[in-house]
Amino acid sequence: MSENEAWEPKIVAIVCNWCTYAGADLAGISRIQYPPNVRIIRTPCTGRINPFYIVKALQQGADGVLVSGCHPGECHYLTGNLSARRKFAMLKRFLNYLGLEADRTIFTWVSASEGERFANVIRGVTEKVRKLGPATKLVKSL
Amino acid sequence: MENIEKKMREEARRLLEEKRVDVLIGYEAGTLPLTATPCFITAPEEAERLVWNRFCNHNLAKYVHDVISQHRNSQKRVKPEDRKKKVVGVVARGCTTRSIVIHLQERQYGRDEVVIIGVPCTGYADRRKVSQALGGEAVLEGALEGDVIRAVTEGGEKKIAVADVLADNCRTCRFNNPIISDVMVGEAAPPMNPEAEYDEVTAFENLPIEERWAYFVKEMGKCIRCYACRQACPSCYCPVCFVEQSRPAWVGISDDPSDTQVFQIMRLYHMVGRCVDCGSCVSVCPMGVDLRKFLKKLDKDAFELFQNRAGSSLEDLPPLSRHRENDNEDFIYHPEIGGHNT
Repeated sequence: MSENEAWEPKIVAIVCNWCTYAGADLAGISRIQYPPNVRIIRTPCTGRINPFYIVKALQQGADGVLVSGCHPGECHYLTGNLSARRKFAMLKRFLNYLGLEADRTIFTWVSASEGERFANVIRGVTEKVRKLGPATKLVKSL
Repeated sequence: MENIEKKMREEARRLLEEKRVDVLIGYEAGTLPLTATPCFITAPEEAERLVWNRFCNHNLAKYVHDVISQHRNSQKRVKPEDRKKKVVGVVARGCTTRSIVIHLQERQYGRDEVVIIGVPCTGYADRRKVSQALGGEAVLEGALEGDVIRAVTEGGEKKIAVADVLADNCRTCRFNNPIISDVMVGEAAPPMNPEAEYDEVTAFENLPIEERWAYFVKEMGKCIRCYACRQACPSCYCPVCFVEQSRPAWVGISDDPSDTQVFQIMRLYHMVGRCVDCGSCVSVCPMGVDLRKFLKKLDKDAFELFQNRAGSSLEDLPPLSRHRENDNEDFIYHPEIGGHNT
């Protein structure tokens, strides 16, 4: 087996407690299969996610970072995801401008009742990152 | 320009005589020829020290924040009813007032704590460009004659047109007249060339992604992490900056290039809707890192997405401190279509 075949994308998913984490839970309870490439980090709200987390994850060797929260208007804290949306819109454009591939940072919404959607998102993101190959930019080598 | 200088001194003297300000921050002639340096004036007779010329490149809003926050800290142990307010006067051009607007919006101090002497600005000379025009030779003697810089070096006398050495941010400045002021000196300055503001950014956007990354790596490779950019930036005023925090230690301190890149990405990102393009970071950078190319992108995006220009009015709050229900959502991933709209 060549080295490339052994490589599996490593994806960090930073999700909100109220929607996407519950959605992931539902996917599990419903026994929906999705790729095991994702490491989930639970946060209270997407508004709580410091954009630094994303940059830091990329530096520490994540091949992709997924951020997911409640759909706009359904935030547990009313507007947390709306402020997050602005932050991430700027961040994604900026990282892409610097030369990091757009598909390495992905933002989406998954509600607590969307177990199927969660699995689809993970499938899609894993596929995208697999196409890009292992991350080389910004990765700390030490 | 001499007229502005004269009026500025008069106003400064008056403000200090009437005790409307406790300290006035302006520029004085630097110790080297063809330089200016910030100065702090507390007595009316010192007003004669003030100068206004093409070498006044510092953004004095930084010092306004420093002076006020230092004073506030010194008052911490004084009973609230005995606390004294310190009013700071400042000589401010367009970008300086924009920085002050940002400070006010971010509630760093009150409008009554700062008195602004507004000065119309026609741009300052970039010291790097001046030095380049002189072939890197040290200036022994220098003077400004209208719009021409006369410099004497070991190789002889040289004349440089100010227009040729104008800083990049001044060339395309949109707000060269003060946004807010208590006293204005001089007539409003003619506009610069704001249409060309984003030309460099657009050109960079159109490069292939690998070239963009290579440029970023090359520029950040120069950075020695002296943090001069942060020290000079009026928008960088956190009591403890993220680079110095140790729990968690956000940025590594190894010599791995990625640590410097991460530091720069985050410092740049903190400037979303807060960078007024005053050129302070660029002018203090000892390694000549092209920070402006990246900062201008944030400015462009903030305007495209949220129609906001940093510090352009007191009512227009910074883009990341507010939101709308119908904000742009093109970057959101949809599994059904296997991508996002853009």
